[in-house]
Amino acid sequence: MLPFSLPQALLLWLALWSTTVISTNIAHEDTVRNFFSKSGSSGSGSAHTNNWAVLVCASRYWFNYRHMANALGMYRTVKRLGIPDSNIILMLADDASCNARNKFPGSVYANPGRHLDLYGDNIEVDYRGYEVTVENFIRVLTGRVDSSVPRSKRLLTDERSNIFVYMTGHGGNEFLKFQDNEEISAHDIADAFEQMYQKKRYNEIFFMIDTCQANTLYSKFYSPNVLATGSSMIDESSYSASPIPLYANDQDIGVAVIDAYTHYVLQFMEAINKTSHKTMQDLFDSYDVNKIGSHPGVREDLFKRRLDKTLITDFFGGIAHAEVISSENDRSLLPDPLPVDEEDGEGSTAAANARQHNSSTPAVRSVQQWPLSGMQPDIWRDARSWICMLLFAFLIGWVSWREK
Amino acid sequence: MTTEPASVFHQKDALRRSIIASYWFVVFLALPLWWNTTSIHRLALPVLRVHSHAQHHVRLPVHIRLTSNVSSAHLKSLVDAGLDVQIHSDEEGLGTESTYTIIDSPRSFVDGRTLHYPANHHHLSDVLSSLLAPVSSSRDIEYSPRYRLAFSLLNEDAAAGGAIVGWDISRAIQKYFSPISKQLAVLHNFTIESQVQFHAPLAFKPTQLQDGTFGLTQEQLTLFVNSAEWSLSSSASNDPVLHFILFVPSINQSPLRILSSNSSSSSTTFLLPQWGTILIYNPPPLHDTSQPTQLLLSDLDPIFQSFADQLLALLGVPALPFSPANPPNAILTDWQLDALMRRRTLENAQKAKDTLQSIVNLVDEIQNMPVEKDVRDDVVNALNELDEMYTSSHQSLTRTLQHSARALTLASRAFFNPSMLALLYFPAEHKYAVYTPLFASAMIPMVVTVLREVKAWRTERAH
Repeated sequence: MLPFSLPQALLLWLALWSTTVISTNIAHEDTVRNFFSKSGSSGSGSAHTNNWAVLVCASRYWFNYRHMANALGMYRTVKRLGIPDSNIILMLADDASCNARNKFPGSVYANPGRHLDLYGDNIEVDYRGYEVTVENFIRVLTGRVDSSVPRSKRLLTDERSNIFVYMTGHGGNEFLKFQDNEEISAHDIADAFEQMYQKKRYNEIFFMIDTCQANTLYSKFYSPNVLATGSSMIDESSYSASPIPLYANDQDIGVAVIDAYTHYVLQFMEAINKTSHKTMQDLFDSYDVNKIGSHPGVREDLFKRRLDKTLITDFFGGIAHAEVISSENDRSLLPDPLPVDEEDGEGSTAAANARQHNSSTPAVRSVQQWPLSGMQPDIWRDARSWICMLLFAFLIGWVSWREK
Repeated sequence: MTTEPASVFHQKDALRRSIIASYWFVVFLALPLWWNTTSIHRLALPVLRVHSHAQHHVRLPVHIRLTSNVSSAHLKSLVDAGLDVQIHSDEEGLGTESTYTIIDSPRSFVDGRTLHYPANHHHLSDVLSSLLAPVSSSRDIEYSPRYRLAFSLLNEDAAAGGAIVGWDISRAIQKYFSPISKQLAVLHNFTIESQVQFHAPLAFKPTQLQDGTFGLTQEQLTLFVNSAEWSLSSSASNDPVLHFILFVPSINQSPLRILSSNSSSSSTTFLLPQWGTILIYNPPPLHDTSQPTQLLLSDLDPIFQSFADQLLALLGVPALPFSPANPPNAILTDWQLDALMRRRTLENAQKAKDTLQSIVNLVDEIQNMPVEKDVRDDVVNALNELDEMYTSSHQSLTRTLQHSARALTLASRAFFNPSMLALLYFPAEHKYAVYTPLFASAMIPMVVTVLREVKAWRTERAH
């Protein structure tokens, strides 16, 4: 007979469980160390020459009208601020505008007054309907697409590209659902960004997400030069219905038309034009927890520039620099090199100082609040979990056998 | 009539035990299948070779022949990164084709691979380093073996009158771009497309000046390309595109020029780094605005001369410190072409090595990333190309460049291989959720029956 009873077995199991947890924490510390060593390396300023946008609406069906309106609102904004359609990857189920239940066929409105048709006459949806999958999203980001995929469906970025990634849909703690069918986890997005970083596919990324528990989605990022913001904290929903009922529903459309967070971001963006000098700091300062109904978060620890020196148009704009060629130039007098923004050089150290100060300021900020997970799958951690599992099953079996 | 339970055939010990054993037999048979279908195919990559290449830097030899009265003292400072400068005196007579010659001359100009320069001028080493290893600028487009050149003639508003409805593009391209394309054939392959548009509005209103002309501020230049309403290039291929735009402002906003801080200059051309160039064409004042006009080759001469210069600038062709021999017998001198090839070779080699290194790192970092045979083959071939590049680096610059370009293409292809998509991450909870309902319900009764059989067998044997 075995030398211990059921309570003892449970104690043993608990002991094993706690060791698993401890080992996980050690993995976190390693990750944090890796991360700091990585971000300590020298970085460039905003040396971008082109802008790209990846806009993902991960929901489908009529009752998710508001998610499509979110994505289309962002599409309108980036296009208005100068990113050409060839540089926008729009992933959209696209079943709202021509839905049989849409009283205004061919239109998607983001406000109950229906002042602005987001669908318009010039929409280029690159991934439509069932093409909006986790796999396609990861393939777009990493560039691992089939050779037959056309140019319009590719993210042809280089190390001088600033990329704006916007995602919306139904999500939860560290995941976002794609069309009620599959889900993408925070690890997958973080790994995709790392692969982009390794292949020098971006200069800087601005990641924005509007979903429930959105801030957990960017908690796993570990690649440098990524600025992230989300609509709501862990265990918190991101609401379509803001406290002002005006934005909740449209009586004629019959469903919620936009999410509160995106609504207020878009409202801020409407006041921005192509030459605006508003900064990211201004955007984040415009977050109003009372209006939005959730706590938006910002993660700037991977981002090297200061937020109050980072223009909105660095991510939403079209072209960054232009060089005038004097008319009397001859072949030997080719134009001078680009002017280098002098603030960028010292910016990295200043940003580091600023970051330390910032951690105590506004309530909205949640810098480094989330523990970073293990970058490498910890085999021991997995093995321990499985051993616990097997032991547990064995104990149940043993008990049920003894009772006979 | 009742029978003893033990005598019923299906209660016979041997039968019952063989039934139980057969279950276990099936489970064990299925184990290899389960293992095979759930494991990820990861071939071993030549990690050591990749790491050793990463530490190895290619050095390109440069032979300089000095005529007798040029002292080599000036050139000591020239030996910098990536270049193996070897200086030969005139007497050695080592006149291979790729040797650069410096000839003492009161007038400074270059001709072929020969530099005529005042021998004891203290700037000689600066001039030489700008010729041999020019610094690259951030406007250069990334290297690609193929580019698409998109020429667009845009009328802001043809309906307002004074439209330009055609241009003699094929002859202009023939005259200005064919020589460039011929000379750069070893580096790039160009595809050319052109279009004429009759309504290409600007997204803003240019500033009207006091003298009735119109001006573009520096800020407006960055907004000039109205990509929402101009469709500038076809999306037929994935090659990088360079745009050359001839913009004809509407007659109501003409003439249009670029404002600069010193108001004296009146430029009409500007360049967008890595994107292309835009030239604003204001028709001459005597031009009859009621009739649509065509641009003839003679009109296009200055425009395409400028476009050709911008193309060279965008491709990273270094500028000469002074004008070439008159008349130039080619668009590019050998100094420029060699310098460009050396730079692209070094860049390609570095990028190929970085890409291979990052493939190895990622495969190591992301455990569920598959590595298929074609990825491994591409990696191995890229490494072979790098090896060949080192061996050819002392023989032929052209071959070195070709090997470096192929190494980069193969390394990128391996990185972007569609099969290199990692399986999605599943947290441990998900694994339990998948496996527990399946295995717990089946395995626990099976384990328990075995244990009971063992117990029964032992009590049986004890009696």
